[in-house]
Amino acid sequence: MPKCLVCYKWTLDEQDIKIKPEDLSLDASRAKGKISDFDRNAIEEAALLVEKNGGAVDALTYGTATVKQSLKDVLSRGPAKVYWIADASAESADAAVTANVLAAAIRKIGPYDLILCGEGSSDLFNQQTAARLSALLGIPCLTFLQKLSVEGAVVSATRKLEDGTEEVSVTAPVVVSVLSEINKPRIPTLKQVLGASKKPNEEIKLADLGLKPEDLVPKATRSSVKGFVMQRKNVIFKESSAADNVAKLKAGLASEGLI
Amino acid sequence: MADDKYDAIIVGAGPAGSACAYTLAKRGKNVLLLERGNAAGSKNVSGGRLYTYALELLEPDMYKRAPLQRKIVREQVMLLNERGSTTIDYFDPAFGEQVPQSYSVVRAELDEWFAGEAESHGATVASGVLVDGLIEESGKIVGIRSGADEMRADIVIAADGVNSLLGQKAGLFPDAAPNSVGLGVKETIDLPDNLISARFGVKDTEGAARVAIGCTDGISGGAFLYTNKGSISIGIVFNLVEAAKQKRQVQDIFQDFKMHPAIQPLIEGGTSVEYGAHLVPELGYNGIPKRLHREGFLVIGDAAKFGINTGLIIRGMDLAIVSGLAAAQAVLETNSPSQTGELYMKQLERLLLTANQRAYQNFHNIFEISRIFSAYPNLANDAMQFLFTVDGKTPKPMLSGLYGAVKRNVTLGQLASDGWKAFRSL
Repeated sequence: MPKCLVCYKWTLDEQDIKIKPEDLSLDASRAKGKISDFDRNAIEEAALLVEKNGGAVDALTYGTATVKQSLKDVLSRGPAKVYWIADASAESADAAVTANVLAAAIRKIGPYDLILCGEGSSDLFNQQTAARLSALLGIPCLTFLQKLSVEGAVVSATRKLEDGTEEVSVTAPVVVSVLSEINKPRIPTLKQVLGASKKPNEEIKLADLGLKPEDLVPKATRSSVKGFVMQRKNVIFKESSAADNVAKLKAGLASEGLI
Repeated sequence: MADDKYDAIIVGAGPAGSACAYTLAKRGKNVLLLERGNAAGSKNVSGGRLYTYALELLEPDMYKRAPLQRKIVREQVMLLNERGSTTIDYFDPAFGEQVPQSYSVVRAELDEWFAGEAESHGATVASGVLVDGLIEESGKIVGIRSGADEMRADIVIAADGVNSLLGQKAGLFPDAAPNSVGLGVKETIDLPDNLISARFGVKDTEGAARVAIGCTDGISGGAFLYTNKGSISIGIVFNLVEAAKQKRQVQDIFQDFKMHPAIQPLIEGGTSVEYGAHLVPELGYNGIPKRLHREGFLVIGDAAKFGINTGLIIRGMDLAIVSGLAAAQAVLETNSPSQTGELYMKQLERLLLTANQRAYQNFHNIFEISRIFSAYPNLANDAMQFLFTVDGKTPKPMLSGLYGAVKRNVTLGQLASDGWKAFRSL
């Protein structure tokens, strides 16, 4: 009967972010928020584990004031309670800061047997939070999970490697990060959506976590973010015969050094 | 109160549903407002105008809180032929001085705000929920189904749009017939505010609304163009039956319209940010189903096919809001569910929605005059060309020149019969 915690990030929906053609800067003014994609898998996996084995699952998030928008959403996906830390520092936080904050919060609200994260966030995809969190908490970490099961205190998992899989097991407590293929996140039903508003949420003030000022200083600072646009050559071959077009295409590819 | 029983369940968080939920919640009713999209407005592709009186009926000054775009002070009617355009332009900056008459709106924003207003008065708003059935017991509608979940209420109010699935499930009317709806295609084009104001001759808070005919390849239909904050909504509504018979795709006809020499400079340099298509109620009063209620169930908004299109003004959102208010007042008026339906019909009368619909009831016949969509716009431009041509040659007498423009486009017999038909429809 594991006690689970899912950490999730409230990110901007990348579908709504536009690249400005003049300077490739990003326009997120119309972007709405969403629970980061892999984190949705983590939430689903925790919900499935608890439905199967019993136990309980809570959720934890750290973000700017906008994280409040995520509470009903996350609670409709299974967790019984959500803890949230809303602070402006999240705007520039790197994975080091995020892990510091989450670890401090977990020390306060924990302990948990199983802490689940998504493999990487939809926006920055640093893939560091789970690993850093486990280091800070002094417990093991399993990454790249495509399968997860719990029996008593033993957590077993299948890790997906580049050209193979690895079966591993550890004794809880443990931090894990999951891949999108581990499950298919549910679409909350009407009752789950309505039930979410009756579940508790608790704000944790960053100031109450006893963090030192340097814990909140990002190690990596972002100097710019730019969109990537494929520059196309827009060449159209208009010869009357297909053979001539093919010949021109072949010559064109050859002159680019592609064939 | 039991967890899964509400005073009212409203399906669809568009203007009709939110107006209804807002009114009921404000009066202390326990309301559940369900939305299929991930958020209210997220599935909406409409960009259009809202006649403000409807919000004013709901609550005086409510429009001041609403996320409105530009106050419409310029009304334009454009007659297009292949190259040219003749535009009638009515400008009055004081149009509707006390309560502004209409604003352009972006529905994604308006709907989200409106549902939020209902929520702030205690309505429960649940989005991402598809309602796929009704619960019926001893001849009454007593709740809704969403997947395996059931939820009960004293009354279910269907605000689920032009293809109302719930109205069909309740057995009130069949699926929308092809001739009862129009196909609207629409694009939102981002442009800097100062460019929009300059191109349409308005201040930055003011806007223009334009309708155009002669741009539909002869298909019954017309174009519309609204100025928003930082964007323009532009689109065409086609008669669905005629559009289906055409060889050309409607999006190609729409593209030609955007590239028309009189339209292209208005949108030049803009970025297309959204493209969508939607069905709109077409038939006005005659398209409204005979039955809009049964015990425990009401139909409002587009689902009830409320809509007015005179060619000059296109109304839907205001009627939706008024119908939502009518339904809410009917629910508030009685504790006897068997009365609610009749009271709803009375409220539609009292709030003048029915009178508004009826006033234009024959108007749709005008659109059966196919020459309106091609021959007459062409005639107008031919006449203008004659009137404004100066080439040093001996000018034709005025009347014979104009008669020539008429003759090139229609016969006198057609003119007489179309005129008579138009007169009778008005």
